[in-house]
Amino acid sequence: MKLSGIKYLTNQGIENIWKNKMMAFATFCVLLISLLLVGSAALFYVNMNSMILGLGNQNEIAVYLDPSTDQDRVASLQNELAAIDNVDAVDFISKEEAYVRMQNQISRGRAIFDYIDGYDFMPDGFSVTVKDNDRIEETTAKIAQITEVQSASSSPQVAEFLRELRRVVTLIAGALIIALAVVSMIMISNTTKASVFARREEIQIMKYVGATNGFIRTPFFVEGMVTGFFAGAGAFFITWAVYRAVYRILTEQAMLMNAFGIGSIIPFSGIRLYVALFYLLAGGIIGALGSVVSTRKHLDV
Amino acid sequence: MVELQNVSVTYSSGVDALNNVSLKINDGDFAFVVGSSGAGKSTMIKLLLKEIDATSGVVTVNGYNLNKLKKRKIPEFRRTLGFVFQDFRLIPSMTVYENIAFVLRVIDAPLKYIRKRVPYVISLVGLHAKTNSYPDELSGGEKQRVAIARALVNDPQLIIADEPTGNIDPELSYEIVELLKGINDQGTTILMVTHEHDLVRHFGGRIINITDGEIVFDEVITGTNDEPLPEEELAAAMAEAEQRSDTAQIPADAPPAAAPADAPVTSTEDALIDEVIAALTGENGGAE
Repeated sequence: MKLSGIKYLTNQGIENIWKNKMMAFATFCVLLISLLLVGSAALFYVNMNSMILGLGNQNEIAVYLDPSTDQDRVASLQNELAAIDNVDAVDFISKEEAYVRMQNQISRGRAIFDYIDGYDFMPDGFSVTVKDNDRIEETTAKIAQITEVQSASSSPQVAEFLRELRRVVTLIAGALIIALAVVSMIMISNTTKASVFARREEIQIMKYVGATNGFIRTPFFVEGMVTGFFAGAGAFFITWAVYRAVYRILTEQAMLMNAFGIGSIIPFSGIRLYVALFYLLAGGIIGALGSVVSTRKHLDV
Repeated sequence: MVELQNVSVTYSSGVDALNNVSLKINDGDFAFVVGSSGAGKSTMIKLLLKEIDATSGVVTVNGYNLNKLKKRKIPEFRRTLGFVFQDFRLIPSMTVYENIAFVLRVIDAPLKYIRKRVPYVISLVGLHAKTNSYPDELSGGEKQRVAIARALVNDPQLIIADEPTGNIDPELSYEIVELLKGINDQGTTILMVTHEHDLVRHFGGRIINITDGEIVFDEVITGTNDEPLPEEELAAAMAEAEQRSDTAQIPADAPPAAAPADAPVTSTEDALIDEVIAALTGENGGAE
């Protein structure tokens, strides 16, 4: 096909949006709603996942050293621990700090501290946080192998619980996204079918005058793609506005932030590009394919 | 050129729409196809457009053997045809110019040619003033003239007109057929399906009557170009001819009732033809 032919068909597709504006608007609305449904479910999942990971980050490995370890070795051990795979941060807990912590943790029978003289009996230690909470047991075991480490302990139950929670959230969110995607596809398919059905006679006329299937489909393809792009752009701006509002409300909740950790809710700026790409690509592809597939039935003339 | 050789069409429902039909329409011919509803006219049109396939027999149109025509070659074949529908079938969202130019767009004609050719065919059908009008803004007759211009624009070898006067005023029907006749004079083969016996009688030419899936009459008659023959009279003559063709028991040596005693009668079929033509033309045995 000549360049002028391609230009003509592309123009036809764009003109058709205006000429069939009611059906184009219906397709736009259905695509917009579908994209918002699936996009919201995906964003919900991404944030839930991030919050669970935030919870996991608060699960730490308590490392206690042999009391006889000298201070030089303590300093070098901090670097050694930090070099272990999966270790995110290593905080030194001095004997004095450990003593204060112990006092704070014991609420009943605090009188016992009256009989203790000084804190030298306390070991130096480290609080180790990990990158991947799922591998906390393996990391704990590695730390325990260091000669100067008297004990290294973590709460595998917390890790296990969070792992299970993530699994359940992934399953539910996955099922929700798939269900919404299926519902969306049915809605989009019906709308594009209705849109094409209204123009079936036009397609038949084209067939009678000797138009090839490609010639007939191209304007529908362009029309569907452009409508899809607009729906994707609309969904992006709506998501942006709503997400920012929800983000502001949630980050103002101090309790929530303390529980899950600051930064566990992803700011929109961090995902803006991905959201925009998802909406525009999904809108364009679904719009274009929906239109083209719907024409198939009417092409057999 | 259109040629049907022993063509039969049986639908999946078991209905025999065409039964062993043979027909040849040469280049440059103008033929009327007449017949009652359900006689098989639409099936024949569908066959000629390669919308359906023959159950048996051979269909050849413009040099294409439609029995062997691959699906991907159908668009190429259809570009050798022009088609005029009873209900005009213009694309409502396109102007008169765009509806006609569209056919040339389909064949990827150069823009320069389109800009020259489309106004020319629009002027041929006398719609220059309506070039930028939309179909909704046109009368029935004007719409049909646009449809004819569309059928004509890519200079087809054959134009098939399916009841082109069915949705327009009777007086405009004559204009439409005149237009088609004019196109035919330029060498384009025209096959026109119609119910309107007045038109057939008025213009004359080759008449093919299909009844119950069979061709019961295929002859050239002279047009009267005068007052229309009463509908009942023509219908009665057609019906009688069809009935006789079913039985076809007239002895070869017996002259037909409407034919003069000295008319040369060669066969039963000739007798029937003479009889119908006599009714159509108002003459006694005026067959060509």
